[in-house]
Amino acid sequence: MDGTPDTNGTTTADNGGEFDPREAAALLEQTKREARRQLNLAPPVVTAVMAVVVLAAYTSLWLSVRGQHPYTGPADWAIAVTYGLVFLVIGTVARTTKRAIRGVGGTSRRQLQASTAVLLAAWAAVYLYMGALYHAGASHAIVYGLYPATAPLMIVGLVGAALSGAHEDWRTFGTTLAVAVVAAGSAFAGPVNVWLAMGIGLCVALVASTVANVRLHRA
Amino acid sequence: MTTEELDPLIHVPARLKIIATLAALPAGGTLTFTRLQDMIGLTPGNLITHLRKLEDADYITSVKTGNGVASKTSVALTERGRKALDEYTKALRDLLGGL
Repeated sequence: MDGTPDTNGTTTADNGGEFDPREAAALLEQTKREARRQLNLAPPVVTAVMAVVVLAAYTSLWLSVRGQHPYTGPADWAIAVTYGLVFLVIGTVARTTKRAIRGVGGTSRRQLQASTAVLLAAWAAVYLYMGALYHAGASHAIVYGLYPATAPLMIVGLVGAALSGAHEDWRTFGTTLAVAVVAAGSAFAGPVNVWLAMGIGLCVALVASTVANVRLHRA
Repeated sequence: MTTEELDPLIHVPARLKIIATLAALPAGGTLTFTRLQDMIGLTPGNLITHLRKLEDADYITSVKTGNGVASKTSVALTERGRKALDEYTKALRDLLGGL
């Protein structure tokens, strides 16, 4: 692409007859691949970082609740570690997104804004519901265990899958659906081990997404 | 099939890069002139020349927003342009399959 002579005025620029079809096919594939890479909102490095972060965050939460009898919920230090890691991920994603969407407008920009608003609303709704569970007298194992460990990502994962499916973004659809399935399945591990199950399950899902992402860009 | 049957508007390196890059956006998506230039590495004058040819053929549309220094030009692939690229890709595949 960068080696293609481009400064030779009209001779090369307008004379498609000098443009070998094999070179055209190679240039077409290279351009498509490069465009996908530059416009990708979740490049492989981001999903790889997220895989490490979720494993670290959920493992620290699990370590803080092991041996709790009765179950009271994650320790403050583990919650602080989790929020610190979450903010790290948010910062990374924000930087990457800003770079990818620079100069992009029209339907693409509006779709991204609408999707982001829906996901944030879903996230807020899940935590509001947690308050309702607490006030209804649900046990600590539910309010500070099973529910916060799984419900946010299950709901947001399903919303994300619906949005990405509607946009025919099948890679994101697969990843978000996998997140929702991991969350639903991990709930059966109980209030203590749900944190570890989520950490391992999400890490595997994000590593698989990273590998798929790398293969897509090499295709 | 011969190379003469390939769409001459698209079968030029610079314009092929422009169309293929815009096709990476979903329908209705736009790219500013600056971003497009960064992505495909053409000089501004060269890019303008090729964009005009594509716009004359209704393969792309361009919209200018803002005034003065803050003005921005955005380009998008039209339905006709997307179809033309699909047909070009198929013709290229058929041609190379026959070689």
